[in-house]
Amino acid sequence: MKRNLTQALEHWIAEGIRSIGQISITPQPEGGFELRHLEDAGRDDLTLHTSALDARGLSFFDDAKAYRPLKTAPTLRHGWRLQVQTAQELRIALDYFYPAMTALWQSQLAGELRPVALRETLNRQTGMYAATKRLQDEEGQQLVGRHCAATSCTKRIMWEFAPGQPLTELSEQKRWPAPEGTHAIPLICQEACNHLVPACREVVKKRERAAG
Amino acid sequence: MFHKPDSALIIVGHGSTVNPDSSAPTFDHAEVLLRQKAFGEVHCAFWKEEPSLRQVLHMVDSEDVYIVPNFISEGYFTRTIIPRELELDGPLTHRNGRTLKYCEPVGNHARMSELLLKRAAEVAPGVPTKECSLLIVGHGTNLNDNSAFAAKREVDRIRDMGLYGEVFNTYMEEAPLVSEWDAYTTCPNVIVVPFFIADGLHSYQDIPVLLGIEQDTGLAASQRDIFRLNPYHLRGRTLYYASAIGTEPLFSDLILDQAALFDTQHSTSHPTA
Repeated sequence: MKRNLTQALEHWIAEGIRSIGQISITPQPEGGFELRHLEDAGRDDLTLHTSALDARGLSFFDDAKAYRPLKTAPTLRHGWRLQVQTAQELRIALDYFYPAMTALWQSQLAGELRPVALRETLNRQTGMYAATKRLQDEEGQQLVGRHCAATSCTKRIMWEFAPGQPLTELSEQKRWPAPEGTHAIPLICQEACNHLVPACREVVKKRERAAG
Repeated sequence: MFHKPDSALIIVGHGSTVNPDSSAPTFDHAEVLLRQKAFGEVHCAFWKEEPSLRQVLHMVDSEDVYIVPNFISEGYFTRTIIPRELELDGPLTHRNGRTLKYCEPVGNHARMSELLLKRAAEVAPGVPTKECSLLIVGHGTNLNDNSAFAAKREVDRIRDMGLYGEVFNTYMEEAPLVSEWDAYTTCPNVIVVPFFIADGLHSYQDIPVLLGIEQDTGLAASQRDIFRLNPYHLRGRTLYYASAIGTEPLFSDLILDQAALFDTQHSTSHPTA
């Protein structure tokens, strides 16, 4: 059956959803929605944007104008508010701020999201990342705890290290499921990302170089 | 006019965890196609950025999905990485009630030579082409990368047109080296067009250093206050350096064409009266 993420988004907001990641979502009395950084809640000096496509520029750099290659890093810039007129525009804006996050939540609610264990992700790598197949359990567990810490990424991890082998070094903030009753769309990590896979390679290569 | 209101388009780019401009053309072309409403929905997906290839299909509402690699050539990414990460069975994949149509990369499009010529003319307006050496810069070197082959194909086509004084392929890491441009060109004017998808690490930061117009790689294009100004007078010549070919706005037309070409080649389109 054809999905409709725009309608789902409207439904969630009607049911009380008011934020995603570091962004507040406020339905406007005259229709439409306003987005802003959660920490900019009380400010009246924010720069107004009215195109959903502006979300791209707002999402790409942090307050210090540094590039944000990982959009779920807790480094969203401040000082803006974005007003959009329709749920479709809201969807486009949120896809820039938090790519795929509303979609993964929709899939999760529909029971269609399959978490992929880290070993499975690494075992299908080829080329320069084929080395990640040689990642050892202990160094891998330590790496995930360090690399995926909530200070670097605010997604909650669904996947295991290997089937039946849970991750051991995650803080409470990183564990799935997200606490209920927060009125927030949870940020889901259903599979190791293309930041973690190169980090796995580095760990393997460093160990192998040290061993000569 | 190719019009697919009940279909989705996914444009796949490489992206970068280091350079913020690598994904920009892919997003730009997607926004153009979104405004044109040629498809019901348009999404981007990246190897190194988000949304990832593993996430993007969750973002799609439609059951009919065209996937166009925004890559300069066939190669490791289009033949191995993208099919693997999207779990494609081949050009046509039926899964979970969806039809996934894997199209040819943009760089394969027959109009690529035309776009390269357009870019060259724009960067050096009014300069007589017969007094110009035109250099098309490719990456080269990577064993699985056919970009060198694609760049050679384009140079052969352009050379056969006889418009420019001379036309050469040149590469970052193999001969003829871009850093030695003044050794094998003979015209007083030299136009350099990067055969790359984006003004990312290679075309904006590395190649200018190799050409000698920058001392160091410096900041990314979007993080600079001042953009480059052509021409450059160095090594006794006048040098014009263009933006990467993938930043050409007409690329969005080519992406659309690649989707239309899929239907032609695979006869999946059944127009109704």
